[in-house]
Amino acid sequence: MTPQILTPAVARRSPSAQTRVALVRPKKPLRWITTAAVAAVVVGLHAVAIEGTDFKPALLVDGWKGMAAFIGDAFPPDLSWEKTIRPGLEATLVTLWIGLLGTTLSVPFALLLAALAAENTSPHRLVYQAARSVLSFFRAVPDIVFALIFVTAVGLGPFAGVLALICHNTGVMGKLWAESMEEIDSGPQEALRTAGANRIQQVANATLPMVVPQFVGLLLYRFDVNVRSSLVLGLVGAGGIGLLINQSIKSFQFDSMLTHILIVLVLIIVVDQFSAWIRRRLAA
Amino acid sequence: MPLSVHGLRKSFNGRTVLEGVDFSVAAGELVAFLGANGSGKSTTLRCVMGITAPDSGSISIDGTALETLQGRDLQQVRQRMAMIFQKIHLVPRRTALDNVCAGALSRIPTVRSLSPLLFPADVQQEALDCLDRVGLADRALDRVGRLSGGQQQRVAVARALCQRADVVLADEPVSALDPHAAEQVMALLRELAHAEGLAVAAVLHQPDLALRYADRSIGLLQGSMTFDLPSTEITADHLDTLYAPDRDVSDRKSAA
Ligand SMILES: Nc1ncnc2c1ncn2[C@@H]1O[C@H](COP(=O)(O)OP(=O)(O)O)[C@@H](O)[C@H]1O
Ligand SMILES: [Mg+2]
Repeated sequence: MTPQILTPAVARRSPSAQTRVALVRPKKPLRWITTAAVAAVVVGLHAVAIEGTDFKPALLVDGWKGMAAFIGDAFPPDLSWEKTIRPGLEATLVTLWIGLLGTTLSVPFALLLAALAAENTSPHRLVYQAARSVLSFFRAVPDIVFALIFVTAVGLGPFAGVLALICHNTGVMGKLWAESMEEIDSGPQEALRTAGANRIQQVANATLPMVVPQFVGLLLYRFDVNVRSSLVLGLVGAGGIGLLINQSIKSFQFDSMLTHILIVLVLIIVVDQFSAWIRRRLAA
Repeated sequence: MPLSVHGLRKSFNGRTVLEGVDFSVAAGELVAFLGANGSGKSTTLRCVMGITAPDSGSISIDGTALETLQGRDLQQVRQRMAMIFQKIHLVPRRTALDNVCAGALSRIPTVRSLSPLLFPADVQQEALDCLDRVGLADRALDRVGRLSGGQQQRVAVARALCQRADVVLADEPVSALDPHAAEQVMALLRELAHAEGLAVAAVLHQPDLALRYADRSIGLLQGSMTFDLPSTEITADHLDTLYAPDRDVSDRKSAA
């Protein structure tokens, strides 16, 4: 007898196919209890959180008059060149410079720490752990806290903002860069290792050139974020347009404040479009 | 013999992958490794290169057993072997010349290897000569990413030359290439062996390439060598034994 080859069509018609396979799901009677318990915990947490934050939507309704008055005072925006627009533009440039220097001056530190904190380029397990911890620390401390610290050291003004951004951005960008290095194809690095290149040579001639596009993309993204952060840093005294907005609020010049906010809006849109444009060109 | 290997054994997690592989490659000879997927071809080359540590066995370069060497001496002898990969493993954003220079990194001081701009002039000249030997001197300043697959693999061969290797091990160097490029690369490997006296061993996926280009072919079947013969003496029976287990399995599946 020749062995019969079973095609799917034959299998479907053959008698043995009538003994069907049954899907047996294990019964889990406790499942709905778990679900209910999780739901109860989540609801409970929210109740505590609402209590803890004085979350009362009614206040918002009662307070609408105050808001309306505030916004009414801000309109029309103050468009006087000497008093508002020119200082606003100058301060906006300072904000941009803070964001720029905070990003670029953190590059050397971020690069070094990233290379030490990526598994495939780090020279030793201990160095790897140490570099990871340093990065985590700088990432965990918010830039605004760094700004407050540096303001006490170097005084009010943009320099404190630059220093704060360098610190925080080193932590964030170093982490992002380390991750993109770990994701890169390790083939070229292995090829150079078999050719007798040492660790530094492997990193400089395979790993780093392979990740350049990712690095530049992340750098632009951080520039975008840092320009916005430097606005907030201005509010705590680290110079730029944020400082100006703070001052106009304190002196009840809400119409100037509105003008400044509009200038900021333009700045943010321009920076955002610029970095998106470069990232598109990199991807192409 | 530039390269001779005795009793190479390797197992992964208790599963034996190589059970005593012996072979040698002479200067001026192109040897092909044939075998089904998983028969241990890549593991053999990786053990010889030192990428994977063998469980036992002896590997000698020009009569010097690697296991008798340590540190700097070992590295210097290893230096004489270069590997060519199926996935080529060049840096696409760098020029062909810069990629070939990277083969010479072990001869360049670390500070001068931080950027291609710092590579010594004599290394760059040597790299250009190596590109010329693979017929790509005119593409030296093109980014590797803009070259075709076959051209890229020839750049990888030039990098091995710039390493001044006299033993070249290639793991499926042409499997990712179109047929025309595959012929070109095989012809190049044969020429390097015959005209320049290199010892070349290449894992090949297609037996017909082995029969046409290799001086000798070695068959691996589940970690053991089944033949080691001049390519002219390889018959269809030899090849059947290598690839038959695969067919047995699929026969059984379809007849079940
Ligand atoms: N690093 C590894 N860990 C575990 N098993 C491996 C490893 N490398 C190879 N193997 C196994 O060894 C066997 C031989 O692999 P390989 O040498 O790559 O075969 P070939 O190159 O002939 O296709 C395969 O079964 C593979 O799964
Ligand atoms: Mg393989």
